[in-house]
Amino acid sequence: MSAERETRLIVISPASEITPDQVSRAIHAMGKNVTVKESCYGAVVEGQRDIVRQVVSEIKSMDPNGVFSKVRAYPAGDPRRCRAHHGTRPGFAQLEQEWNDLWKIQYGLDRADRGEKARKRKTPGKLPVGEFKKICEVKR
Amino acid sequence: MKIFIDPPNSLILFDLVERSGHEPLSTMAAIQEKIDRTEIDMPPMNLSLEDVMLGLKYAGIEVPSGVRGRLAVWGPMIEAAEAAVIMEDCPYSFGCVGCHRANLMVRYMIKRKNIPVLNVNYPNNEDEATDLVVEIREFLEGLK
Amino acid sequence: MIKIAQLSCGTEYSSVQYEIDKAARSVGASMTYPDVSASDIDAAVERFGFKPQSPQLKLMIARAVQLADRKYDADAVFIATCFRCAEGALVRNELRRFIQDNTKLPVVTYSFTERLKAAQLLTRMEALVTVVTRKELLARERQTGVTVGLDSGSSTTKAVVMIDNVIAGKDWTPSGDVIRSAETVLENALKEAGVLMKDVEAIGTTGYGRYRLGKHYNAKLVQEELTVNSKGAVWLANKQRGEATILDIGGMDNKAITVRDGVPDNFTMGGICAGASGRFLEMVSKRLKIEVTELGSLADKGDWRNAKMNSYCSVFGIQDLVTTLGDGKTFEDVAAAACHSVAEQVYEQQLQEIDVRHPIIQVGGTSLISGLVKAVGEVLGSKPIVPENSQYIGAVGGAILSSGFLEG
Repeated sequence: MSAERETRLIVISPASEITPDQVSRAIHAMGKNVTVKESCYGAVVEGQRDIVRQVVSEIKSMDPNGVFSKVRAYPAGDPRRCRAHHGTRPGFAQLEQEWNDLWKIQYGLDRADRGEKARKRKTPGKLPVGEFKKICEVKR
Repeated sequence: MKIFIDPPNSLILFDLVERSGHEPLSTMAAIQEKIDRTEIDMPPMNLSLEDVMLGLKYAGIEVPSGVRGRLAVWGPMIEAAEAAVIMEDCPYSFGCVGCHRANLMVRYMIKRKNIPVLNVNYPNNEDEATDLVVEIREFLEGLK
Repeated sequence: MIKIAQLSCGTEYSSVQYEIDKAARSVGASMTYPDVSASDIDAAVERFGFKPQSPQLKLMIARAVQLADRKYDADAVFIATCFRCAEGALVRNELRRFIQDNTKLPVVTYSFTERLKAAQLLTRMEALVTVVTRKELLARERQTGVTVGLDSGSSTTKAVVMIDNVIAGKDWTPSGDVIRSAETVLENALKEAGVLMKDVEAIGTTGYGRYRLGKHYNAKLVQEELTVNSKGAVWLANKQRGEATILDIGGMDNKAITVRDGVPDNFTMGGICAGASGRFLEMVSKRLKIEVTELGSLADKGDWRNAKMNSYCSVFGIQDLVTTLGDGKTFEDVAAAACHSVAEQVYEQQLQEIDVRHPIIQVGGTSLISGLVKAVGEVLGSKPIVPENSQYIGAVGGAILSSGFLEG
């Protein structure tokens, strides 16, 4: 495939109302020259880079804070990474974990859009020796 | 701007960086370059011995081959990076970021590059996720 | 298709995954990765009890647990991590133990560099496949009929003629041309046995030249030396039932194999460097201007503590030897030091990768060097058994196993 090929994972936050089926139907309806494969997390869309990016951007607009995406190195169904041949690919468990947590990010994006600021980060320190000593002495 | 993300295969970081109008430098893109080469046929990743040898630029021969092979993929990305977002305490980082030693070296290489770096924590709850989103947004906007 | 479950870290980024897949394919197997989901990993690592920093090693552990719990079906297990990675080496060995404790799957472990080629893995992969596909044949305890075993090794070529479970003829020669060396030893072995080639009902070949010999003689059995040698060793030592460790310090590489009822379930095959092999002892003998056969008895009379030698690298080892001789050490002490050094290397490099089970059966040409056997005994704290005809394990194993093709 040409160097211009782009394969994108579209991943829907578990808290989003959008379904993978809606995503793939929406892409089909766009009538663009891309291939779409529905997945349990969303869809894999593949085609020429600029068209794929356009498609992703349109899909994201369906739920801007609930639809996420990243590029995928391998073309869809590439036998070099096909689950049917080799079992899960090495990065799958991570994707699964991040998908699980996307609802938090979605929530964070919503709050950031409302202008919320980041809280001051507290660095959890160790108990000072003196205080620890006091606790030990009380317990004795 | 070109933003190195660490873990370099993170969906969350890739998406948040791209949302802010920057270009995330990811392992996926680096690997795509390798696997789309037609002159090499070494599945699954099309990484050749020569590719691993390039890792000697970053670590000596006494360092395990898996570390050097990884650094050979990330080294050029770090060299190209104009800023970096590092997410600490990720629950899992398999595959490309599966080697702790290689990950330590990547952090060091970013530090040595002397580019703007944002360290954020993997969120455990909604509040932390908000912090992460806001901090990344502010950091990236500040770069423009 | 035989499914070999791969538990590994670093193979793809070391550019060796392709070679691993190639080696598996060439022996009719495929590498597979036990499926795990993110939620399985923490529990698996917790249960295993060793918590590595590297996530990929955690994934390896989770995959091993899938195998142990029979949630994933595989026929054999290949565990590999990068050479020189301490964390990887610890996990690799402990996972091997875990798999052996929890399954009956044959296991092979390997530590690789980026220069790994499929050919280096071939014998190991082939042995895994043999153990899976030829279980019944490997369980065979008696030889029947008139059969021949040919072992084409890197240093010597051996032939054995067996008739109804008895060695009737045997011969060996230093390896030269694969076919010609085999022809010579076979002719002599047949002569000793008093049978003609036309009387031979089956031939089994093993060793590096097995494929060429197999084709040349139309052999019924062409099989790698790990499983064939194991069979020969337990037959010769009369330890066909129960557990044992077979130690074969070869001319080019060393093999340590653990067996249960004569069938290997774990093996290591070393050979990054010839320093810890029989080749080093040959080099030492040459420098001492003695036959390698004399080295053993010379070593028996010496004390290794009097001469410093390290055969980790044969070049440095010979340098040590020259220095030691220059210092005026006796040939006896030097010979003992050479044997001790090889034994130590085998202990450090091979025997750490398996769990030694007793008895230890030492075989192969080097088992005739008494000083080396003594040194192995000292290093391991238990004297190995050296059966009669111990140098003929491969040929005997070939003769026994090939007779399995005569019935039915």
